[in-house]
Amino acid sequence: MTQSPKTIQFTVERTIPAPLEEVFDAWLSPKIPGTIWHAAEKFVLDATVDGLFFWTIRGTSHYGRFTEMQRPGRMQHTWMSPNTSGLESTVTVTFTQQGKSTLMTLVHAGLPDTDGGRSHENGWTYFLGMFLEQF
Amino acid sequence: MNELTDVLAAISHPTRRAIIDRLAKGPAGFLELAAPFDTALNAVTKHLKVLERAGLITREKRGREVVISLRGEPLRQVAGWVHEYERFWNERLDEFERHFKDKKHKEQKKT
Repeated sequence: MTQSPKTIQFTVERTIPAPLEEVFDAWLSPKIPGTIWHAAEKFVLDATVDGLFFWTIRGTSHYGRFTEMQRPGRMQHTWMSPNTSGLESTVTVTFTQQGKSTLMTLVHAGLPDTDGGRSHENGWTYFLGMFLEQF
Repeated sequence: MNELTDVLAAISHPTRRAIIDRLAKGPAGFLELAAPFDTALNAVTKHLKVLERAGLITREKRGREVVISLRGEPLRQVAGWVHEYERFWNERLDEFERHFKDKKHKEQKKT
């Protein structure tokens, strides 16, 4: 009997003070700080549906395939690295206009629920970090 | 696992996070704790019950007063459950957001 591996997902949100199209395009640009392409040591990027990407940081390679590209509202690609233990995880990013800003929601799903996949020792979140320093 | 759910639920409310923030500076009595909030006292009581159920606070009687203290341990447990990719994306998006904030700031300076 085979059991499908247990997976987890999480959501990260930010409000970016710029219009929808600008934020969407910036997320795919190696010139913009914060994008994975900007941080990459090497990368290949074909941001079209069924286009492939490769990028490497600190010697760890990541691969994926774009599965949705709906400018300026939504993009989705798969995400594979040594940390996904052979599973094809998915990263879905949606962009929603909020006045003059853009709400960006990133959902990383299908990650393996293993000790290796989690960071027990270094784990912290941006909001919990503030509390933890005080204990 | 239940405990983790209770802790996550407890920190999901801004008032309860503000109470945690206050208690991180040191123990406090009930009225002192309730003072900054623009809500009814029984609403604060309810928030404290949620925090207590999650194991985030303890109550201790000192004479006539009840002193409320913070227990940080459950928060550390929550932090341990955070996936390293969650940390990774938070760092990326923080940088991305900062880029646009800086850009906006520079544009406002020019005009």
